[in-house]
Amino acid sequence: MSSSETEQNGALARLGAALLVNLEILGAAVSLVGTIWTSPRRIWRDRDKIAVELVRIGNDTLPIGFLVSFFIGMVLVIQTADQLSNYSQEVLGSVVGLSMTKELGPVMIAFLVAGRVGSAITAQLGSMSIYDELNALRTMDIDPVAYLVMPRTVAMTLALPVLVLYADAIGILGGVVAVRIDPSITISSAQFWNNLTTWLNMSDILVGCIKGLVFGLAIAVISCTFGLRTRGGTEEVAASTTSAVVWGFVMIIVLDYFIVRAALILQ
Amino acid sequence: MSADGQMTAGQRRGVGVRALEVHHAYNGREVLSGLDLEIRPGETMVIVGGSGEGKSVLLRLIAGLERASRGTVEIDGMDIGDYIATPPDEKPFQMSMVFQSSALLGSLSVAENVMLRMREHRTHSPAEAAAVCNRALLQVEMLEARDKLPSELSGGMKKRVAIARALAVDPEIVLYDEPTAELDPILTEQMAGLIKSIHERSGITQVLVSHELALAYAVADRIALLAEGHIVEIGSPQQIRGSEHERTRRFVKAAEF
Repeated sequence: MSSSETEQNGALARLGAALLVNLEILGAAVSLVGTIWTSPRRIWRDRDKIAVELVRIGNDTLPIGFLVSFFIGMVLVIQTADQLSNYSQEVLGSVVGLSMTKELGPVMIAFLVAGRVGSAITAQLGSMSIYDELNALRTMDIDPVAYLVMPRTVAMTLALPVLVLYADAIGILGGVVAVRIDPSITISSAQFWNNLTTWLNMSDILVGCIKGLVFGLAIAVISCTFGLRTRGGTEEVAASTTSAVVWGFVMIIVLDYFIVRAALILQ
Repeated sequence: MSADGQMTAGQRRGVGVRALEVHHAYNGREVLSGLDLEIRPGETMVIVGGSGEGKSVLLRLIAGLERASRGTVEIDGMDIGDYIATPPDEKPFQMSMVFQSSALLGSLSVAENVMLRMREHRTHSPAEAAAVCNRALLQVEMLEARDKLPSELSGGMKKRVAIARALAVDPEIVLYDEPTAELDPILTEQMAGLIKSIHERSGITQVLVSHELALAYAVADRIALLAEGHIVEIGSPQQIRGSEHERTRRFVKAAEF
């Protein structure tokens, strides 16, 4: 066999192995979702744990979410105003409102949660795995998925739509502030607001919330899957955390496309 | 057994373990190759051997955390796979494990760690669970630390709490993975005393894996030497100490060195 053929075979083997690993991860993630949602009574029983997770997600996300959303709203206004330099700036309200609620709010807050909360979940479960804490639970007949994954997943799925609404509101507030203080903006904040309320429908906000719901579930499942799969030592915990964040970002964008597509068909 | 479900002194009620023709590969390497082992009900068995010989793997197979590639592991005549699949409230006996890393949940206090199984399975009322927890912590002399977090404890204290957690489920068999790893000689001696006192008080079966022969001499009813994937020799501490088997003699000599 020539060296180029050997290289090709090696590359194919690596590709095949990577595909198998990814399929295995997908299978583990799907199985995780199945396990979580087959025990609804457990959700009610563990409501205190879910509440703790909700508070943690809020604490980790609200301050940084405020900063990012506020400045994105401002940037949207001044960038759009610059593009509209030869036209009327009256459409600024609808541009900012629709961009934030339909796209930027959900995607940006999902990225923040994946990077901040999702990574922490993977690192925590990964550490628990390498230090035998998951095995300790198993020897006590406690299912780590029910005990650790379920509260985190339910909390994340419930929190994301609320965080999306929060990001929408703060982004629009940032837009209003930019309209008031930026010298390049020629419309008043009342005109901005009127245009925004004219064009923004409840269905736009609803689609954003549905995105939040789906993104929340995806981030939690991906973070927990990578955390539970961690074996070895601290290096593997770091590798799992990085993989979970990368996969989380990719899945957010992929799912975003499918949700938008479905929403357009339903319209 | 007393009314609260705890064993009274002097009673013997451990369960036996039988491993038959067990093969197991780890990271592509066969670490156990046709291993046979029988542990008698109520005895303290210490499995010794060098690093990488598969001691911890064997313990995980007995605990049901891993499944053997081939062969069977039975506890009290029940296949370990069937035992694991049995719902918690229908298990015919209780098994606990003390991990090398102690494996206490960092977000829970000492008491919450000890009561975890009782709380999750709702086997006891909160007051009963607290009473069982206090008794278990008292047994390992850690009652004063009940409200502390694991991060506030030393390595030796964590091990004691892990033992209390194992005892709180009123087990018939306790598995210990390197219970004295990373402990200084004084703490090792204290740990040996604790393991002996548990055995004398409850009569449960205890299985330890360790590379420390001194610990094995101190606590074991019988010692098994694991090497090259199978049990090389098994016997009382005196028999192992005076063994003529070449592999055993090498290990004993190296341990004394």
